[in-house]
Amino acid sequence: MTTIAGSLMRSLGAVAQSMVQATPMALRGVSQGLAARAMPSSATWTPQVTSVRHRYHADKLKRGPLMKNYGYEDKLHTKGLMPHMVHGKRLPIPIYRPKNSWSEKRALFGQNDYIDILGDGSLKPTDVAYSVPHWLRGFKGNEYQMLLRKRKFFHNKMGQYQPTKLTELNKRIHKLYVHLNQKTKDYYWHKA
Amino acid sequence: MLDSSVPLILDEKFVNARNVVAAREAWVETLDTNTSDVGMITLHPDVFSVCPRMDIIHENVVWQRKYKMVSKAHTKTKPEVRGGGRKPWPQKGTGRARHSSIRSPLWVGGGVTHGPRAFTTQFYMLPLVTRIHGLTSTLSAKFAQDDLKIVESLQMASDEPGYIEKLCENREWGPSVLFVDDTDLMPRNITIATDTIQHMNLMPVYGLNVYSMLKHSTLVLTVGAVRRLEERILYHLNRPDLTKANATPFKKQN
Repeated sequence: MTTIAGSLMRSLGAVAQSMVQATPMALRGVSQGLAARAMPSSATWTPQVTSVRHRYHADKLKRGPLMKNYGYEDKLHTKGLMPHMVHGKRLPIPIYRPKNSWSEKRALFGQNDYIDILGDGSLKPTDVAYSVPHWLRGFKGNEYQMLLRKRKFFHNKMGQYQPTKLTELNKRIHKLYVHLNQKTKDYYWHKA
Repeated sequence: MLDSSVPLILDEKFVNARNVVAAREAWVETLDTNTSDVGMITLHPDVFSVCPRMDIIHENVVWQRKYKMVSKAHTKTKPEVRGGGRKPWPQKGTGRARHSSIRSPLWVGGGVTHGPRAFTTQFYMLPLVTRIHGLTSTLSAKFAQDDLKIVESLQMASDEPGYIEKLCENREWGPSVLFVDDTDLMPRNITIATDTIQHMNLMPVYGLNVYSMLKHSTLVLTVGAVRRLEERILYHLNRPDLTKANATPFKKQN
């Protein structure tokens, strides 16, 4: 058995050697049938191997994307407005009314802001800021300062006609006084 | 050899004045469809041909928007919300969290702790110099972009709105036009014509401002308005106490 195997091996080796001798240069892309025709073949049979392309990218694209989750129906809404059918009516959305950019208020916005420069200098912008409540013209402050100013302007009238409101105002001022002076600190980078 | 009888005058024309800016010139027109240009006017370079500073223009626009703003947004704090005086359930015994009032900020419908409070103002004043430079920058930009038209006067032939609309269309004066005159009493015809047209507005010189100049495409100045503008702006730019006026913080009386 071994001798047969050994002889078989030797013969194969001989074939290999003969093959090597017969075709000293292995050419890529050339089928062995073509090479055999070019060079006369030996007595042993060699299978004809032809590499042929079966799959093309264009066909893959033509097939389209791979179908996955076959039979699964997505019952969720992924796009569009949420359905909300209450008695068959749609949700109330206010009618869009674009603002009039050229109404008188908007067309002449900023008029007289440079009256102290372009006028004779007797009037300042805060003197003509009629859209601002008179007690807030030229004023900036936190809530506590604003309430103090309000009380200074209105305590007479409020005492006569709105006493409860004046009491509430005083209470709030007192509460803010306690909070700002006893409960919080003034840092140099942040004042109340 | 030099002739000794003729004095030796070596005259060299030095270019000393490197910073002199040439005065600008503009056509003077009329609000008359038949005539095109009446004459020419020279404009002072320190007012009308300044290099426009976009950051200063922006500062001015932001200031104009903010300094008159009053925010009336208001939320109620815990003691101001109606109700909430009683303890909702006993401190201990019920398995629930401990609460003392139904209007605490933790509760729905309760008070807001640090919300907006009543009248909040954003008042501040820009330095005088910044506002002057805002005006000059905007006027220069308008002039450079051909959006500044000089007109002899605001006298018009007809008081029809169609007349002035057609005039502006023929001369390609932008969709919105701002007419500026020296006085606040404008001629009859133009007042009636522009009364119904919302995007054509009349203004006196003292009402001129950066925001309006940017909002309206075309700025039409009368000759009187141009001279008044120049006089006022140059006065402020050259007044001896400008640094003091600029540095003095704005103080509102009472």
